[in-house]
Amino acid sequence: MLELRQISKTFNPDTINEVRSLREVSLSIEDGSFVTVIGTNGSGKSTLLNAVAGTFFVDSGSIHLGGREVTRWPEHRRASLIGRVFQNPFSGTAPTMSIAENLALAARRGRSRGFGPALGHGWMHELHDRVRVLHMGLESRLANAIGTLSGGERQALTLLMATWLRPEILLLDEHTAALDPKSGDKVIRVSEEIIARDKLTALMVTHSMSQAATLGDRLIMMHRGRIIYDARGAEKVRLRPADLLARFEELRRGEQLDETAADMLKRAYV
Amino acid sequence: MTLVIGALTIGLILSVLALGVYISFRIFEFPDITAEGSITLGAAVAAIFLVSGTNPFAATAAAFCAGLAAGSLTGVLHTKFKINGLLSGILVMTALYSVNLHVMGKSNVPLLSATTFGNYAEDAARALGMTAANMRMFGWEVSVRDVSILVAVCGAIVIMGFLLDRFFRTHLGTAMRATGDNPQMIRALGVDVGAMMILGLAVSNGLIAVSGALLAQYQGFADVQMGIGMLVWGLASVIIGEALVGVRSLGLSIVGTIMGSVLFRLLVAMALRWGLDPNDLKLITAVFVFGALVLPSLLSKLRSRKPQVAHA
Repeated sequence: MLELRQISKTFNPDTINEVRSLREVSLSIEDGSFVTVIGTNGSGKSTLLNAVAGTFFVDSGSIHLGGREVTRWPEHRRASLIGRVFQNPFSGTAPTMSIAENLALAARRGRSRGFGPALGHGWMHELHDRVRVLHMGLESRLANAIGTLSGGERQALTLLMATWLRPEILLLDEHTAALDPKSGDKVIRVSEEIIARDKLTALMVTHSMSQAATLGDRLIMMHRGRIIYDARGAEKVRLRPADLLARFEELRRGEQLDETAADMLKRAYV
Repeated sequence: MTLVIGALTIGLILSVLALGVYISFRIFEFPDITAEGSITLGAAVAAIFLVSGTNPFAATAAAFCAGLAAGSLTGVLHTKFKINGLLSGILVMTALYSVNLHVMGKSNVPLLSATTFGNYAEDAARALGMTAANMRMFGWEVSVRDVSILVAVCGAIVIMGFLLDRFFRTHLGTAMRATGDNPQMIRALGVDVGAMMILGLAVSNGLIAVSGALLAQYQGFADVQMGIGMLVWGLASVIIGEALVGVRSLGLSIVGTIMGSVLFRLLVAMALRWGLDPNDLKLITAVFVFGALVLPSLLSKLRSRKPQVAHA
């Protein structure tokens, strides 16, 4: 269970580049819920994910995860509760190390790392079975360096790594945005499969209306650092990409109106 | 032949330095100039213990610990106080110069009358029945003492290289390699990147100090100036090693680094024999490393330019 209580974050405060990325966002996600997040550029959707992951500390408000308050936990400590897949396929794996070594690193997420051999006996067996789930033939290439794999393969492996130990929450940050459509689809299918199989709680940022509409059981739309729409249950099931596009269009028109109105006022009074 | 044995021995001793530089420079991509202070620190600490009659192994272990401390300090300056990596190293290196003078009490400590690992090696050779002062090897007359020291150093390097390889395959060691490879990823897997870097620099400088301790025992003195140019020396060894064996695997890189150090020392010994002015040695080493750093990208640029010329 993830609970955000009125979290705010402003980047570069009191400068020209001040950006109020999150404005008193409150959100609570039940265990086993799969939430998709959409929003315009700069709406704060990635910032929301990074706030949960601990990439930075929030200015105010509190973050609770799995019954613990983690607001002041540094990123590496929160990692014991969180699995992450990044937008950039290069971000989630160590390129010069082998597939087996990368997975061995993930198998100790948030645990102590001692002098035991990383690739012990028995481990390679378990590895083989779990990598096969990806249906990419990677199980026969476990000794290969990750750097030799394609972006799609790397994202699928990162996903496997993030969920190797069951995370309290899985954070997916536009994890198919940098892939070609075919591998993107494949990674999405694997994501769905793993989330359903392990009944994971997941928060997925996406730029794709169809992904947002079809995946998960709840949808959040963000705009200017706030959650402006939250659909779940039957409402989420009925949502179509066209409905989401219509909402975005509405937002855009509302803003244009604001700007022209401001212009008119300026011209009239200044 | 004596010249070759001497060069091999020094090359092997400095390969411990090269392994330390490999950790900081290749695993963390952190050119850690603390090396120049910590090699002298290792020599100074070992020398002081040896002069007071301590067992050479204990003295070398003490040098290792001193190096650990120096490396951690650089790591703390860099990760906790956010000081630029190169500058952290320079600060610690500069401070170590005074520390080394204090440790030794003077700028040079002779070890000619102290018991060093060389005496142990010689005793071992004698126990094996080589009682004469000289022996014949490949038709050359060589000193038994020199050969036994070479064998002892060689054994020590093999053990250290093996342990280092093992270490980098443990849970801790793989996490350390991943920290250099992709900090964002390893942080997301629950590793404190700062702590890992401090630990890595500690191990790196610990090894470098061991190299200093062995060098002081071999050459018979510790000198406050002996660290100058040592980082570039280590870099040259690492680069030659990569040219020799490539960068395909960790074990190969470790072997390559050791081979690189030995080969480099042999080349230097030959050049000096043929009349190279010793004063030019550091200049040539620096130029060599410069060339090794620049050539690969220069070559690939030339190669990629060719097809464009063909189009035009």
